[in-house]
Amino acid sequence: MPGALDGVRVLDLSWGIAGPLGVLLLAEQGADVIKVEPPGGDPFRDYSGYAVWNRSRRSVTVDLKQPAGADAFRRLATDADVVVETFRPGVTDRLGIGFDALHELNPRLVYCSCPGYPEGHRFAQRPGYDALVQASSGQQWEQPGWRPGPIFLHMPMPSMGAMFLVPTGILSALIARETTGRGQHVRTSLFQGALLYTTQIWTWVPGADSAFYGTMAKSYPPGVHQEMIFEVAGSEYVHASIMSGLAPVKTQDAILGLPDPSDPEKYMMLSPEERAELTPKRRAAYKLRKRDELIAEFRENNHAIEAIESMEYALGAKGEPHPQLVANQMIATVDDPVLGHTTQVGVPIHLAGTPGAIRGPRPEPGEHNDEIFGELGYTPDEIAAFSGVN
Amino acid sequence: MHALEGVRLIDFGQYLAGPFGPMVIGDLGADVIKVEPVTGDGMRFANQPFFGCQRGKRDIAIDLKSERGHEIALQLVEHADIVHHNMTAGVAVRLGIGYEDCKRVNEDIVYCNTWAYGLEGPLARFGGLDPLYQATAGLEYEQGPVREGNVPNYLRFGMTDTANAMLSVVGCLAALYHQRVTGVGQELWTSLLDGGSMFASDALLVDGEAVPRPRLDKAQTGMDALYRLYETQEGWIQIAAIEDAHWAGLCGALSLPELVDDPRFATRAARAEHRQQLEALLIPRFATRTAIQWTRALDTAGVPNEIAFDSRAGELQHFDADNERLGLVAEYDHPLLGRMRQYGALIDFSETPGLIHGPPPLVGEHTVEILEWLGYAQAEMDELKSQGVVYWPDDDYRWNV
Repeated sequence: MPGALDGVRVLDLSWGIAGPLGVLLLAEQGADVIKVEPPGGDPFRDYSGYAVWNRSRRSVTVDLKQPAGADAFRRLATDADVVVETFRPGVTDRLGIGFDALHELNPRLVYCSCPGYPEGHRFAQRPGYDALVQASSGQQWEQPGWRPGPIFLHMPMPSMGAMFLVPTGILSALIARETTGRGQHVRTSLFQGALLYTTQIWTWVPGADSAFYGTMAKSYPPGVHQEMIFEVAGSEYVHASIMSGLAPVKTQDAILGLPDPSDPEKYMMLSPEERAELTPKRRAAYKLRKRDELIAEFRENNHAIEAIESMEYALGAKGEPHPQLVANQMIATVDDPVLGHTTQVGVPIHLAGTPGAIRGPRPEPGEHNDEIFGELGYTPDEIAAFSGVN
Repeated sequence: MHALEGVRLIDFGQYLAGPFGPMVIGDLGADVIKVEPVTGDGMRFANQPFFGCQRGKRDIAIDLKSERGHEIALQLVEHADIVHHNMTAGVAVRLGIGYEDCKRVNEDIVYCNTWAYGLEGPLARFGGLDPLYQATAGLEYEQGPVREGNVPNYLRFGMTDTANAMLSVVGCLAALYHQRVTGVGQELWTSLLDGGSMFASDALLVDGEAVPRPRLDKAQTGMDALYRLYETQEGWIQIAAIEDAHWAGLCGALSLPELVDDPRFATRAARAEHRQQLEALLIPRFATRTAIQWTRALDTAGVPNEIAFDSRAGELQHFDADNERLGLVAEYDHPLLGRMRQYGALIDFSETPGLIHGPPPLVGEHTVEILEWLGYAQAEMDELKSQGVVYWPDDDYRWNV
């Protein structure tokens, strides 16, 4: 089966989360990705998600600080379609592999940079670890938690925004190249990734009345979606959905056996006072129910509801994996060279004509040095010298 | 030229996860036509989330259930590169705008459906909102964190709407690239469920057993004594003292030099093992000075840190001079609400920049312009409007936005 991105070669210099995971979305739609690591390997190899985020690609090791190493990288870039890098602005220029140098060698090259902050911003030379961008962007102050003040976001939100912007920018530039014949410099950042997740909560309108900001504003206690989390028997939790797109057979409150069932479809429209009156009765009713039985009964009555558990649970750590993730082919087994038999998330973009696929486990550092540099005519001794392998 | 100039997308979506992807594609320079029901998008009441998923589109209001409305929809599809929507199972086919219907009038079309759960399977018939898929991905469980005895904590950023939309953007652009190279279009789909799982893609089982990954503490400050928030005399500071050099610098900046070689904290592994003891020493120290004082001291000592910034619901980012200069802020006038700011370009292109076309449209704001382009005469348009087949704003405009 052909892949949508067959014939697109990507050189992946990136570390961390956003670069490798963004590149993964391209790799599993057919792009030929070569991870370019420093001798000894990517310093993020011990991260928990590394084996997932770096799969479906080959690996070479290159010491870019050696002239011969930088030269070997430039030769690779001469035939590549895309380079992705996540260094602070200016670093690749100093190594002689910046946009200007490579664009001159290969005018069709799309060069994607994703540092912590945009070039030219006063934060550009500050460290770009994910949590620092959560702090500086204002995201931590947006999240209501269980104490006053900023809340640390467990999920690395700036990186998880930038990881979508990286392939979006690259693909847009590849599409433009079909018209212009030229590549270009595509730049995004973790900071811009953080902004992506403010789209639903940060519209500034000075003339708007308070109702404009009302529905989804940060508030204490936290808002309407938090209020639809319920504790059930055995200290477990469910999240019931306000709507499912289906006509309910019985209302949620009728299923719970509440004496005066109101219509929870309209729950979102109730005033805080009305909600406050309804909620304690519901909370008490939920606590009497066993989780999995309640979920089944809700679904039989056309209400959407889910257990609140960990992702490991959804992958099947304590039993069966989530049945719809199975149906979506999102539960993948991968034989990892270090970890062995693993269960990981699958390919989340489903193209019917050119289906995506996992193209192998994460490579060992330099696993493909001889294969890839050999094609360029390097001798084994030359390869060993610039790749740091002895 | 703009990055996606010449690309036209017809957006039949409503609410959030459907429309946001087309907005992103529009920001890259594509012509995005929102086909809105004459009764209005069901999300208009929510103001902010609605605005966050609709800017820059041209809007034509059509009753797709009417024969002539359906005819107009297919005329639009004929002139498009991408069709995009988030209708639940079977709805698009019933309306006569399924993939096969669209392919019949435009063979090379890229056709994308963003679902709640998925194309087929035990829950495919259900729609659903973002919180369900924060639940399935464990986001609420980890953010609580539930294992520390806290209640699950919903993230208020519309996480999985955005993830589903962005997967659809990447999928549509991959399919469009393939179409441009080979001439062959295709159908694709993404889902809220799958989008959510990307956020927890570091979760991994080995031989069916969960592999440990970083966890949040009960007070929701961070993952580790040296990768967390600390409250100061005034304000909070986030530190990321990841490397050994950072550790030495931190001890110096906090005037705790004796800790550097303390065997409890001498190595990264030892510091992780004695997390609580280390935090018990650092918490009172951070409380003795303000966040501004600490950030200067830590910067001097080479310790990565940032003050946790209260942007006042985004306003201070929207008026930040660097953000304005770099195009990270967009300003336009909304026809009813006046001056409006949202974030600007999230991706910068050296040769083909994106293009933020303008504010979120009114219901049917561009109906006349689009029908004229399709060749309709004024009398015909008036007739269609009087029959309720199409709508454009008039004295009778009944929405607040």
